[in-house]
Amino acid sequence: MHPAIQGLITIVIGVGGCIGYFYFSNQFLDKVLFPARGPNAGRNINRANMIRPWLFLFPAIVALGLYLAYPVVETLRLSVTERIPGGGSEFVGFANYAQMFSEPKFWEAMRNNMLWLIIVPAFSTAFGLLAAQLTDRISWGNVAKSIIFMPMAISFVGAAVIWKLVYDTRPEGQDQIGILNAFWVAMGGDPQTWLTIPYLNSILLMIVLIWIQTGFAMVILSAALRGIPEETIEAAIVDGANPFQIFFKIKVPQIMGTIVVVWTTITLVVLKVFDIVFAMTNGQWQTQVLANYMYDKLFRANDWGVGSASAIVIMLLVTPILVWNVHNARKEMR
Amino acid sequence: MFPTPIEKTPRAWQLTYQSLLPLALLMWLLPLLAVALFSVKPEADFVGGGYWSLPSYFAGFENYGRVFFDSDMPRYLMNSVLITIPTVIGCVILSSMTGFALGIYKFKSNIWIFFMFVAGNFVPFQILMVPVRDLTLDLGLYNTKTGLVLFHIAFQTGFCTLFMRNFIRALPFPLIEAARVEGVSEWRIFWYVVLPLMKPAIAAMSVLIFTFIWNDYFWAVVLTQGAESQPVTAGITSFNAQYRAAYHLMSAGSIVAALPPVAMFFLMQKHFIAGLTLGAVK
Repeated sequence: MHPAIQGLITIVIGVGGCIGYFYFSNQFLDKVLFPARGPNAGRNINRANMIRPWLFLFPAIVALGLYLAYPVVETLRLSVTERIPGGGSEFVGFANYAQMFSEPKFWEAMRNNMLWLIIVPAFSTAFGLLAAQLTDRISWGNVAKSIIFMPMAISFVGAAVIWKLVYDTRPEGQDQIGILNAFWVAMGGDPQTWLTIPYLNSILLMIVLIWIQTGFAMVILSAALRGIPEETIEAAIVDGANPFQIFFKIKVPQIMGTIVVVWTTITLVVLKVFDIVFAMTNGQWQTQVLANYMYDKLFRANDWGVGSASAIVIMLLVTPILVWNVHNARKEMR
Repeated sequence: MFPTPIEKTPRAWQLTYQSLLPLALLMWLLPLLAVALFSVKPEADFVGGGYWSLPSYFAGFENYGRVFFDSDMPRYLMNSVLITIPTVIGCVILSSMTGFALGIYKFKSNIWIFFMFVAGNFVPFQILMVPVRDLTLDLGLYNTKTGLVLFHIAFQTGFCTLFMRNFIRALPFPLIEAARVEGVSEWRIFWYVVLPLMKPAIAAMSVLIFTFIWNDYFWAVVLTQGAESQPVTAGITSFNAQYRAAYHLMSAGSIVAALPPVAMFFLMQKHFIAGLTLGAVK
C-alpha cells in the first residue's frame, strides 16, 4: 500500500477515535451513568458535571504522564545509577555527578552555555527591538518585516547547513566560497578556517541563532510597540523630547513586560540549543554546549549515568524560569 | 502623527534611511541568496572556483531535478509530511478538549492541572531523551513514523493546551451560560458553540505546530534512522554527507528542505504571527 494512503487511513482512524471517544464518553456519562431524570436527577447532573472535565482531560493527561512525567522521574533515577554489564543497574549515589564535574569538557560546555545565555537573548532582543522600531516608519515596513522574519521559518539544522557554507574555507590563493572568507580576503586578509578558532567559533555559532531569533523578537515587540497609547508619545513630543528620549524613556519602559517575555522565551531556546552546534562543529574546537555534551555521552560514550546527570543540570538551569512562569500565571489568576 | 513617516523628515536623513535599510536587509538575506545562487549554477562553474560570478547558464532544472529524482530527498519530504500532518491534527484535537476543560469548568484541581501543563511546557526535551527512546523501543515503535508522531503529540500538548486555554478564557462566557440555560448538553456546547469560535486560534496554532514539528531535528535523530522514516531535517544532513563536495547539489537540497516551512510562513503569515503573539504574551 502506498505510504500516503496508509498515513491517510491512520489519520482517519485517529481522528475518528478521538471524536468517537469524546462523543460516546459524554453520552455514556449523561445517559447511562448519571441520567438527568428519575428521583436523583439533580444529584446526577451535579455528579456528571464533576466528572466531565476529566473526560476532556483524560487523553492529554495519559499522554503527558507517559511521555513527560515518567521520563523526567526515570532520568532522575538513571542519573544516580550505573548500568552493570549484562543487565540491571546499581545505585551509585552522586558518583555520576562527581565524574561529570571532574571532566574539563563539562566545564567547557557550562562556560559556553553561559556565554550563549548572555549573548544570544541580548542581541536577539536588541536587534528585534531595533528592527521593529525602524520598520514601523516606512511604507514597505511589512515587506522588510517578512524578510527579517523569514529565517525563523527555517529549521535550525537547515540554517546550520546554510551558515556552514558561509564559514567555509578554501586554501589560500583560490577563490573563496564562504561569504565570510570572501569578504575577509577582499579586504586583504588571509583565508581563515573560522570554525576552528576557539571563542570566535562559538560567537559565529551564536550568530546563527541570533539570525533566527531576531525575527521572533521583532514580531512580538512590534505588536507591543503598536499597543503603546499614542497620548504618552504625543505628550513627550509636546514637551520637546528628541526621538532617542522618546524611544528609551517613553516607549521602552512601557513595553518592558513584553521585553522580559521575549528575553526569557529566547533564553529557554538557548538553554536547549543542540542542532546548530551538532550540525556545525559537533562540539569540537571548544564549542561544546550542554545539550551536545549530553548527546555525546549517551550515544558515543554510551555512558547513561553521566548523560542523564547532565540532562538534570539542564533541567536545573531551566527551573528558575519555570518557577517564575508558574508564579506569574498564578498571580494573573487572582 | 507619530512616528513621523520617513517621507516627512529632512532629505539627507531620508536618503540614508532609505538606502541603509535595504542594504542591511540584503546583508541579512545574504546567506540565503548565496545558497540560492549556488543552487542554479552548473557543476562546471565550481571547478574553476568562480563561485561568485553569475551562472554560466541556468542549471536550476538540472540541479533540482537531481535532488528530486536522483536522491532520497522525496522520501524524506514525504516522511516529513506524514509526521507533521498527523501531529498537527492530534495536537489540535487533544488541546481543544483540554483547553475547553481548563478554560470553562471550575473544579478543584483545575489550577493544579493547569500548572502541570505550564511546567510541562518548560521541561527541556533532553531530559526526556533516554526514557522516551527506551519506551519507544519497548513499544516496538523505534524507527517508525508512528513513534515520532505519538511523542510529538504528547510533548506539544503542554504548549497547545496553554494556548487554547488562554484563548477560551478570553471568549465571552455569557454565551456558554446562555446555552446551558437553554438546556444544551455539554458536548454540544463544545462542538457547536466553542469550537466554531476557536477557529482563529486553531489556525494560528496549527501553523505554529507545523513549523515546530517540520523543523524538529533532535527527536528525528533520537527516534529514527535511515531514509525509511527520517524527516527532511535529518535527511538534509545525510544528503550533504552524500554530496560532500557538490556545492550545487548541497545548495539545491538545502533550498528544497527549507522551502515548505518558508512557503507555509508566507502563505499563512497572518496566522503565524497571531500564533506567536498569542503564545508569547499572556
